[in-house]
Parts: sequence; C-alpha cells; structure tokens
Amino acid sequence: MPVTIDRRLIGKEYPPFAVTVERGRIKDFARAIGDLNPFYLDDEVGRASPWGDIIAPPTFAISFRDERADSAALLRDLGVDFGRVLHGEQEFELHGQLRPGETYLCRTRIVDIYEKTGRSGPMAFVVRETAVTDRTGEIVVTMRHVTVVRL
Amino acid sequence: MKYGRLYIEDVEVGQTVPPLVKGPLQQIQLTRYAGASGDFNPIHQDEEFARAAGMGGVFAHGMLTMGFVAQALTDWAGAGTVRKLAVRFAALVRLKDTVTCSGRVVAKSSKDDLHLVDLEVWAQNQRGEKVVTGRATLALPSRG
Repeated sequence: MPVTIDRRLIGKEYPPFAVTVERGRIKDFARAIGDLNPFYLDDEVGRASPWGDIIAPPTFAISFRDERADSAALLRDLGVDFGRVLHGEQEFELHGQLRPGETYLCRTRIVDIYEKTGRSGPMAFVVRETAVTDRTGEIVVTMRHVTVVRL
Repeated sequence: MKYGRLYIEDVEVGQTVPPLVKGPLQQIQLTRYAGASGDFNPIHQDEEFARAAGMGGVFAHGMLTMGFVAQALTDWAGAGTVRKLAVRFAALVRLKDTVTCSGRVVAKSSKDDLHLVDLEVWAQNQRGEKVVTGRATLALPSRG
C-alpha cells in the first residue's frame, strides 16, 4: 500500500530533552563498535588528557534519546512503520567533546522533506537536525539525520 | 602504531588513512550496538521481521558502520580530532560481511591556531562494494 509523507511536517520541532552522559554509556558505546581507544575507555588516560576526563567517540550523540517520549514519534508522524524506513545519510559536526557527568540539551526539528525515485521505486527523504548544547548554551554537536521512507 | 597522534605537518594532500578492517560481522555485535545506541529496530535483530519487510534478512545499523569509519580516523589521527563526519549509507552491510574503512586527504588548511584536514572517507565490503561514502574534517595540532 503506497504511503504519502505530509510535507507540512517541515519545521516541526520535537520537545527539547536533557541527557546526562553516564561514564558507562560512553564505554559501552565504544566497546559496541569495537573501538577500544583508551581516551574513551581508560579513566586515568582521560584524567591526563587535555580534556581532563574520558571523551565520547564522534558518533556517540546518536544514542541521545528523550526517555519520556515514545521512541516511535517520528514514524508515527510519518505514518509508516519500522520496516519501511532506512537510514540514508548522517552527519555530525563536533564543536567540542561530550564528557561524562555533563548534562546536554537536545533539540530536534524536521528541516526538509523531499521525494525521489530510485532503483527500488519512489522514496521520501526526511531530514532532521538535532542541536546538542551544554549547560552554558554553547553548541557542542550538531547532527543531521536523513531518513529514507520507501513509499 | 595502534593509536596515532597526528600533527598537521605530518599530513599531505593525497595521503590515505590506514585501512581499518572490521568483521566478519556477527549478530551479537548488532545486538550489542542496539543496546549501546538505543536503536532497537528489529530489522537489525530479527531475521523473519527483516525478510517480511522486504530487506532480504538482517543487516547492520548504518550507524555501526559509521562508527567504524570514525574509528579508522581516530586510530590514525588521535581521539578528539574529528570536527565533522558526514556519510551516505550506500549499501547494506550483512552478517558475515567484512568492512574495510579508509579515506584520503583532499585538502589541508591553517588559520591562526586552527589546522584542518579535509578527507573523503569510505567503507567497503569484502567484494569491494562501497557501503559508506562521505567526507570528514579533522582538527590537528601543530608541532610549531
């Protein structure tokens, strides 16, 4: 059954949410990738580093989620289920390092929706941007997610 | 040199990032990545679900492969050097696939104390098919 994506979703902002980075989550994330860099895993190496503590791997912010929200909010807005979407593109811009114990504010909005026809048929591209700021309001990470919906 | 520490003076345009080989990929790594990232889409875990969705079976989170690409960069240049990483997921990575990540320096620039290196980056499977393509920017220290 073909689906259509409502372009009126462009500009939609999701409720901001705060994430406090737990030391163990950084380490679990690095280990899940198989990236055993001591700057992510070894507290002593972190303490002696220019950052004074371990830092997170570059893609760590992808794990930031609004624990109070329904994780399927985007899919519900798009009117599709898990099986129809693919991760098309992803971008991280890192202005600083994510550190354990710090609390960050995440704000996500839909910035674009467009359609294209590929080899496997018509597809919609839903582009979201998430800004991650620290306690002082300074931007630390910007993420750009492109979700592909098979129509 | 497992964990490099790269200075801007060490980098030339055209230089390649030492390839990082990951895999063969096993289900347990996808399950572990789901837990660590919070992405529990059953398409990465449940063979029946993935087939019913028309995907021909389970495949890896694109973000896991992107994590491999980031690791290739930081193994070479050092942790904390990545300023920007932007990729397109060009093909699916399947269980038992081996993924090799690398890159090539396309530009370098210095302004005041900021020394930047631009790269094209990629990951390919054991058949030489590109599964990820993209670009990255690293900020490196200077010996000067």
